[in-house]
Amino acid sequence: MKGYKKYFGKKALWFFITLVCAVILNFILPRLMPGDPVAAITARIAGGMTSATAAQQIYQEYAEKFGTNQPMIVQFFTYIKNLLRGDLGLSFTQYPRPVSDILKSSVIWTVCLQLPAILTGWIIGNVLGALAAYIRKGFDKVLLPLSLLISGLPAFGLAIILLVVFGVNLKIAPISGGYAQNLIPSFTPTFIKSVIGHYWLPFFSIVIIAIGGQAIGMRSMSIYELNSDYVKYSRFLGIKDRKIVGYVFRNAMLPQITGLALSIGTMIGGALVAEVIFNYPGLGSTILRGITGSDYPMISGSTLIITLMVLAASFIIDIVYGFIDPRVKAAQIE
Amino acid sequence: MGKAILEVRDLTTKYITRFKEDVYAVDHVSFTVDEGRTLGIAGESGCGKSTLALSLMGYYFSPLYYTGGQILVDGRDITNMSPDEVRKNVLGTEVAYIPQAAMNALNPTAKIIRFIEDVIHAHDLKMSKKDIYDLARERFEILNLPSDVLQKHAVELSGGMKQRTVIAISTILSPKVLIADEPSSALDVSSQKLVIKMMYDLMRMGYIKSMIFITHELPLLYNVTDNIMVMYAGQIVESGTAKQMVFDPVHPYSKGLMNSIIVPEEGTRDVKLTAIPGTPPNLKNPPQGCRFAERCKYAQHLCHTSFVTMRRFGEVDPGLLGGEDEGDAVAERNRAYRCIVPIHELKAAYAEEDAARRRDKEAVSYE
Repeated sequence: MKGYKKYFGKKALWFFITLVCAVILNFILPRLMPGDPVAAITARIAGGMTSATAAQQIYQEYAEKFGTNQPMIVQFFTYIKNLLRGDLGLSFTQYPRPVSDILKSSVIWTVCLQLPAILTGWIIGNVLGALAAYIRKGFDKVLLPLSLLISGLPAFGLAIILLVVFGVNLKIAPISGGYAQNLIPSFTPTFIKSVIGHYWLPFFSIVIIAIGGQAIGMRSMSIYELNSDYVKYSRFLGIKDRKIVGYVFRNAMLPQITGLALSIGTMIGGALVAEVIFNYPGLGSTILRGITGSDYPMISGSTLIITLMVLAASFIIDIVYGFIDPRVKAAQIE
Repeated sequence: MGKAILEVRDLTTKYITRFKEDVYAVDHVSFTVDEGRTLGIAGESGCGKSTLALSLMGYYFSPLYYTGGQILVDGRDITNMSPDEVRKNVLGTEVAYIPQAAMNALNPTAKIIRFIEDVIHAHDLKMSKKDIYDLARERFEILNLPSDVLQKHAVELSGGMKQRTVIAISTILSPKVLIADEPSSALDVSSQKLVIKMMYDLMRMGYIKSMIFITHELPLLYNVTDNIMVMYAGQIVESGTAKQMVFDPVHPYSKGLMNSIIVPEEGTRDVKLTAIPGTPPNLKNPPQGCRFAERCKYAQHLCHTSFVTMRRFGEVDPGLLGGEDEGDAVAERNRAYRCIVPIHELKAAYAEEDAARRRDKEAVSYE
């Protein structure tokens, strides 16, 4: 147990170092982008103004407010100071909305779209892969090439195909948004119905690709495990095939669990393509808007969430893995 | 000599390859193992000895298929049972197996005791968890394994412990025949000795009734088995007592095999090790006649086309060898032991060879 604690202590320390580096990069990288966000805002506000002094004044005012007129290092410490208080700053493009407020309303969309999609794809993919390994024959001959094909499709490609086929040609699904444009988010039946109607196209664009990748991984892991020595030995001890298949799938599943954790961790980054194509109101669209508007606090805030989720996912999986795989636990204790 | 525990008659099994070719890896093999005795099966890699071990279980799955012959365990033929009957009533209880790769034979994610429970439940034995635990602990003690091993996973055990754990699990249902495929190939010499001693202890205590060792290490067989059988290209070329087979082999192949190892005895220093030239035949199209003929320096014209029963001078274990007469019945029964070279000619040739080798040795040694 002592070695176990030491292992996680070390791990936590490394995660902290990673987090610090990520926070620094999250701060610096957006600010290295060309373009002046304050000038863009000024131009928007002072659109009709002819007086250069007035425009200049507005510019000064916003630069003051956002702190962009200060040296980068000063800005950085202000950012860190605010971050420690849980304040992610105010959005430039949607001023004066706080970034945390924007993120809160978009994260919920992303999680509700991605989490069920990733889980569904993972479960179906693993079941199909395991069946292909166990049945082999024709089932495998159809499943494997199909899985390779769909997992090889780029996410945007499949999304566009779905959009064109079901949205544009067949007209059985709305082509963009998370709900009908004329509705205001609320818990009314009309709104929920609209959300569900808008849900399934982006949902399947994620599920289908996930199925392909998971099925390939699970298939090859299962074949590997089915041919392992302990399977042969168990057979010769008279253990029933059904029980042995249980051993095999449990063991083949282990690497797949890592895959699941990582895809949950990176789900927000992964959401970008589907959300942008379907114009879904999630975090992916928010990041895109932040980037196009050089909205530094929003980019930093979104990337911070991604960082935290990836780190949390890999930390949790490390702990869980120790419990489900004695080999990993033995390595951790050493 | 006790009663026959395992009797194999004309057993033939084949592999069907990916390209639908038949490979007869065990070809008309017959032998008997008596109660309280051990049999060693020797041969080079690919001669079919591991396949023979698998075939003896009576439980066949792709790509290995049964084609003919009988396996009688304690007088009961297991070849005409349904696979599920074999699984339930033969595997583990009548015939048990210790795999070649004992290191990887345990499910990496299951505790040892869970695995033992699965083994026992697979045979529909009504035993409580407590009974199973007690039984396992008792057996583990015989193999010098502490009882806390039961609560561990395979990864937490050392190589030797894993090996002994596998032996304990294989013998937990007190099988009549224990087949050990290369039981000690992954161990050093002192652990080998210990493991084999423990297996003998199990037999002495009556938990197993007979053993079959399969190995390429002839010195090991000589030290631990009563009888040795030499396999070549899916067939048994010669069998006899351990002493006969090591010091007085008759078949040119067994002779070659014995000459390729060191037997610790007086004069070992002067013995030059020789290898058998050539490679074993491809079993997809085995040669007609003697399978060893291609590599045999005594081969005569007839060797390549037909079989003649080999005769042996001196003492013979009648249970294993047909005896001296050339009667058709005996020849038929002992189809696995074939060599057409008359034995006295062979003996003369061997003697000449030995003399030549000794002369060589004297000429070059002590430089």
